[in-house]
Amino acid sequence: MRLHKHSLFLKIFLWFWATVIVIGIALVVTFLLQPGRMSSRWHDSLANAARYSGAVAVEEAELHGTPAASFYMKQMGGSTHMHACLFDEAGNAIAGEGCELFARNISLVRSKQNVSIFTRDGIARVAMPIQSSGGRKYIYAAEIPTGTPTISRTAIAVRVCVVLLVSFCICYLLARYLTVPILRLREASQLLAAGDLSTRASADMERRNDELGFLVRDFNAMAGRIEELISRQRQLIYDISHELRSPLARLNVALDLARERKGNNSAFDHMEQDIERMSEMIGRMLTVAKLDTSSAPVQMTRIDLSELVSQVVRSAEFELRERDNAVRLTIRGLCFVRGNAELLQSAVENVIRNAARYTTSDASVDIHVERLEREDGSFILLSVRDYGVGVPESELSNIFRPFYRVANDRDRQSGGAGLGLAIADRVARVHGGTVRAQNAAPQGLRVDIFIPAAGKE
Amino acid sequence: MRMARVLIIDDDVELCRLLAERLSTEDFSIEAIHNGQRGLERVLSHDYALVILDLMLPGMKGLDVLRHLRERSTVPVLILTARGEDVDRILGLEIGADDYLPKPFNPRELIARIHAILRRTNYTKNATVPLVVDDIRLDSTAREAWINKTQLDLTGVEFSLLETLLHHAGHVVTREHLTEVVLGRKLGPFDRVIDVHISNVRRKLTHAADAGERIKAVRGSGYLLVVRSEVT
Repeated sequence: MRLHKHSLFLKIFLWFWATVIVIGIALVVTFLLQPGRMSSRWHDSLANAARYSGAVAVEEAELHGTPAASFYMKQMGGSTHMHACLFDEAGNAIAGEGCELFARNISLVRSKQNVSIFTRDGIARVAMPIQSSGGRKYIYAAEIPTGTPTISRTAIAVRVCVVLLVSFCICYLLARYLTVPILRLREASQLLAAGDLSTRASADMERRNDELGFLVRDFNAMAGRIEELISRQRQLIYDISHELRSPLARLNVALDLARERKGNNSAFDHMEQDIERMSEMIGRMLTVAKLDTSSAPVQMTRIDLSELVSQVVRSAEFELRERDNAVRLTIRGLCFVRGNAELLQSAVENVIRNAARYTTSDASVDIHVERLEREDGSFILLSVRDYGVGVPESELSNIFRPFYRVANDRDRQSGGAGLGLAIADRVARVHGGTVRAQNAAPQGLRVDIFIPAAGKE
Repeated sequence: MRMARVLIIDDDVELCRLLAERLSTEDFSIEAIHNGQRGLERVLSHDYALVILDLMLPGMKGLDVLRHLRERSTVPVLILTARGEDVDRILGLEIGADDYLPKPFNPRELIARIHAILRRTNYTKNATVPLVVDDIRLDSTAREAWINKTQLDLTGVEFSLLETLLHHAGHVVTREHLTEVVLGRKLGPFDRVIDVHISNVRRKLTHAADAGERIKAVRGSGYLLVVRSEVT
């Protein structure tokens, strides 16, 4: 799947993932990383434990002196892992070891005259003012292991990674679930627009029971309708052309009978000319309609395109010799294609005829056939160039439409019906090739037909 | 001269009537049948000089009529085809039609082709000298061809084609010349009728005696019958 910066997939995926991550962070921040927000009951029990041992320590100090208090606290530390110190009212340590630890607690107790508790890395530091039975004030501080497990940095990193990975997977799947049908639908609509009217979105998407499923079903219904309409229209064109032939055939015979009986007359000549024109037009229309409608595969054989073009040129020369312009044919390389000889011949003939019709009377028609290696495979290029007035740039893409005529020139008197290039276009497409028209410098039109080259026999 | 009897098998009643009227001025007697099955029966039971056969027929398709006809008769057949049905046209020639005309056609063209086919049939009937090149032997009187003691089953056109090639054995005969002599008309642009006939003859030669390529295509100019005795 190709993604670009603004794809829906990326948007949905990133938004969901970011949301999950932010929620996670908020949870962690709220519940774990805020010191001093422990439950009050736990605080009370900590304070009570400290108060009890503190009272004993003060007792010891008053009755047996500070060394006794130190000894008591050391002993207690050995049995309960509680590390404690005793300070006087001013905050000077009077018993215990390593009492600098409690500096922060002490200053807080002194300013607030209240219990202060810090918890960090599974250890709680508790400090509190204590009054002895004799009325003297002390400050007792103790470091108590809280029993909550110590979480190492690597453990935290692993957890974060797991959370990220799981949320990534879920968000990825969710985003895919939502966007893949849209992408598929887009592919289908592109194919439809490119002319493959039998395209439908896949059936497993149609079975979805959500909004996307509805959309896919509607799309398929629409594609079916378009296909039906267009094929009906093409069939109609085909049928009309087909049916027109019978009366035209009769007209031909009737005209000949009339000639037989009434003798030659210029009116008959006109009629005959028009009948001929009509029958040629119908023939071409049928070719176009057939190429448009037929879904049956065209019979393909290996054909030497240069030979085929030479043959067409020989016949064309015959017609052109009456008109003073010559055909110049150049062939480079082996030009084998897989194709249908009849169709290719009619395409080549139509393009060359077209060029011969529009080239100026003393100019030539240049035909070039060669094998080209392009990124997307080997192609045979057939290039036909005339020296006529060319076609306005804006109309270049239209000249392959049936019956299309360039406004300025290309008059009806020239005899064509505007079907020749349409045939060439369809024939090229049937062969998996393309047709392109461009104006040549200094004047004239160049039509390039690309047909995929056939492999080695 | 006796009027040549021509049978036209076409479902277009009006066209048949007009054609009958037109062709009668050319000394042809025309009969028309509008159904394939009945047309076939008619050709087989009567003696016609030529059959004009439309490929689009009700009842039995034109190609089937031709196929059945060729199993039992070598009467010259000219097929009428609709344009845009090139495959049928080629098939028709391969099955054994002599020539074809696309519909709509010019009646004068039709008359010219009928004349050409009939002239060839009459002309060859008068020739008497048997032609022999290597193992191919042609008896123009009986219109029979043999290769290596095997008789070839050739249609009228195919026989004339082989005959012409034998006359010029070892030399290239152009497609133009072949079309003129065999089909009695000028080679038109994109006209491949003669090539289809050539390939039919080739196929039949190979079928009867697997003796390699006897008729060689000469690129860009025409065909030639290879003479073995000169080669070896």
